[in-house]
Amino acid sequence: MDTLELTVDHPLRSFRLSVAEELGRETLALVGPSGAGKSSVLRAIAGLLRPERGRIALGSHVWLDTEAGIDLAPERRSVGLVFQEYALFPHLDVRRNVAFGGRERVDELLERFRISHLAQARPAGLSGGERQRVALARAVARDPAVLLLDEPLSALDAHTRNVVRGELAELLAELRLPTLLVTHDFDDAAALADRVGVIVDGRILQLGPAAELLAAPADAFVASFTGANLLHGTARPGAGGLTEVVLDGGGSMYSADGGEGRVGLAVYPWEVSLARAESLDSAVNHVRGEVRSVVVLGNRVRVRVGPLTAEITTGSAERLELREGDSVVASFKATASRLVPLG
Amino acid sequence: MRSPFGVALALATALTISFLLLPILAIFLDIPPGRLLDGMNDPAAVDALIVTLKTTLIANLVILLIGTPAAYLIGSRSFRTRSLLVTAIELPLVLPPAVAGIGLLAAFGRNGLLGGTLDVLGLSIPFTQLAVVLAIMFVASPFYLRAAVSAFESVDPALTGAARTLGAGPARTFFRVALPLASGGLGAGWALSFARGIGEFGATIMFAGSLQGVTQTLSLAVYEQFDVDFDVALAIGAELVAVSAFLLLAVKLVPSWTRSNSQSTTLFAPFGSR
Amino acid sequence: MTTELALGAVLAAAVALVTGFTTTRADAPATVYAAASLTDVFPKVSPALRFQLAGSNQLALQIARGAPADVFASASPVYTQGLFRDGLVEKPRTFATNSLVLAVPRSNPAKIRSVFDLAKRPKLKLVVAGQRVPIGLYTREVLKRLALLKVLRKAVSQEPDVKGIVGKLALGEADAGFVYATDVRAASSRLLAIPLPRRSQPTVRYEVAVVKGSKNWEAGLEFVADLLSTDGRRELKQAGFGLP
Repeated sequence: MDTLELTVDHPLRSFRLSVAEELGRETLALVGPSGAGKSSVLRAIAGLLRPERGRIALGSHVWLDTEAGIDLAPERRSVGLVFQEYALFPHLDVRRNVAFGGRERVDELLERFRISHLAQARPAGLSGGERQRVALARAVARDPAVLLLDEPLSALDAHTRNVVRGELAELLAELRLPTLLVTHDFDDAAALADRVGVIVDGRILQLGPAAELLAAPADAFVASFTGANLLHGTARPGAGGLTEVVLDGGGSMYSADGGEGRVGLAVYPWEVSLARAESLDSAVNHVRGEVRSVVVLGNRVRVRVGPLTAEITTGSAERLELREGDSVVASFKATASRLVPLG
Repeated sequence: MRSPFGVALALATALTISFLLLPILAIFLDIPPGRLLDGMNDPAAVDALIVTLKTTLIANLVILLIGTPAAYLIGSRSFRTRSLLVTAIELPLVLPPAVAGIGLLAAFGRNGLLGGTLDVLGLSIPFTQLAVVLAIMFVASPFYLRAAVSAFESVDPALTGAARTLGAGPARTFFRVALPLASGGLGAGWALSFARGIGEFGATIMFAGSLQGVTQTLSLAVYEQFDVDFDVALAIGAELVAVSAFLLLAVKLVPSWTRSNSQSTTLFAPFGSR
Repeated sequence: MTTELALGAVLAAAVALVTGFTTTRADAPATVYAAASLTDVFPKVSPALRFQLAGSNQLALQIARGAPADVFASASPVYTQGLFRDGLVEKPRTFATNSLVLAVPRSNPAKIRSVFDLAKRPKLKLVVAGQRVPIGLYTREVLKRLALLKVLRKAVSQEPDVKGIVGKLALGEADAGFVYATDVRAASSRLLAIPLPRRSQPTVRYEVAVVKGSKNWEAGLEFVADLLSTDGRRELKQAGFGLP
């Protein structure tokens, strides 16, 4: 199987998109805020956008080479693109939609994506999850060499999303195609992709397995994007070999990471514990604050206490009888926090 | 319990509809049906009907066949280019018909810009049925083109993009995606263009003249018969109304037949992605 | 109390406005329906009036159906007399005569030197008027007298008024057409007149009549007086019309 080589250099609204990566038989997710240029990368690979400069090749098949004047039309590139809003043909039924890409395996695909019972239905009458399956079936029907997914889950409601995410992960594992996935949700990226790239203002800030981004975020943006609490402050050497960070908002925290000057102190919500009273424990950082909000997410609860967001089990939250306005102590270890450069 | 405002609305509607329908009904009711039918059999009326049907159908066929791809191209351009091109195709709309006729003569007449070339090719256009066809095309096509550009513009680019990534070239994308989705707007635009063409007078008489059986269309014949035999004039008027009504109905019915293939809920609804 | 006053004032104003639009005023301009061949000369006789110019047959029909004309000037007595018989106009008066010519574009593409050439040119673009339009009537009279009626088969268009013929000749699109002598005079830079044999000239008599019961019939009468006055006759003569 060939590797997809991708180099794109293109001016967008207020910044320059500049990406150079390689993609093997894996799923790579591009994550970032809206407008970061993620969809433009997909469109460039598909041939719907001609970058100012770039080279896109799948093994020996060169799809785009601005220097050599090569620019293959989309229909001549072996891609399967699933659009954000699915772009199903409203005037065709499901069967004809799927058959548009390739007539041979239609029945097989309808079976595999569990939409056989919808073959005669029109897209307008389908639910979000069903539409997504049709869009996928249609893209795969063409037997593409590269799969491109543009925000595959954002058009779905929260519940469907979880179900579909699981199904999509299975599908990608089965297909084993070079897949480029674009999303603004880090959790989706982490669940679906082998490698995750954080892209902001046209540049990839960090690329690697999701766990790596979590464990060692390259900068403040990556840290906050992956869901960490980020507190701003000034670092200086502290007692016991730890770094003391004097927070902008007042008070001090300690981190086992080294750092000096302006830093961001990153700590993940699931590393923050809550208690009714400060206890003698190994955690170095304690913050007393008022419970500002309690958000239930299935078997987990996100609690905002002062400047921090903690994630604890629902059971624990009930045990502690947490209510808004209560005074609690949020704690985390110095070894659980990371210091990242700011700005 | 009807509010005074509701009554006023109903009254306004009744007035509007009766005002618009009255002259049309009067055409059919002014003289007894027997005389109306006799009028329709008058050779002048029959000739005019034939000339009109021939020229209007040919003109509209050309408008459809050449105008549709042109509108597709214009509709796919960037906003600035598109606005410029649309303004250009709308120019004939602001011309009084007589001026349009003079323009056609100045272009295709014996002493016109292309006069010499046409002469060499053995073609002489003024005073012929071809002139009538050209006059109709000139005044009517802007109506179709404008509506067609708008219809193609409102086809979600994600859909045409999707078609391309699924392996359809530009032609297949046009025929299987853009055209079916734009068909509602195209049909409505074509009805307008047809109606304008049938009522064409000023440019025709200037460019093609008026000769029974050759260039005298229903509109030109009405004008002449007005004074010769009013019964015949009414009969021709009735024919004009009938042809137009038939056409409007046909256009309304076709989209509802394609409606079973498309998702458009009204004739003019643009397509957003779902 | 004040609401009633206000309503009353509005009502009075509305009445005043409406009557203002419909009341006859002695100095309101007259509406003259006139034959197309009078297009250039009539505004010279009375510049301030409103003119509606078309084929006399069309105008007669419109007046018969209640068109708001104050005066009707026809290129043929047929139409004024017709309306007079129907009691729609006052007694018509002759105010001018005219003669027909065979006109060709200045470039004379068909090389016409006399009316008889019309029969000799196989591919001729001849433009005439409809047989109910005065100029059309007169044309057929001329051709009948010259035994050239078959020439009508070469007509490529039957125009609704004489100005349509003049237009097509002036643009060089037609080879020949029958128009009034006054029309050639008015478009002398673009048309050439081929005189017709004297024996074939029909009597072209222009009549004018005031429309009975019209709104501005006083102004209408004034116009007729102007037309028949010395100044009016001079304008007509300068334009090439004959005087009775």
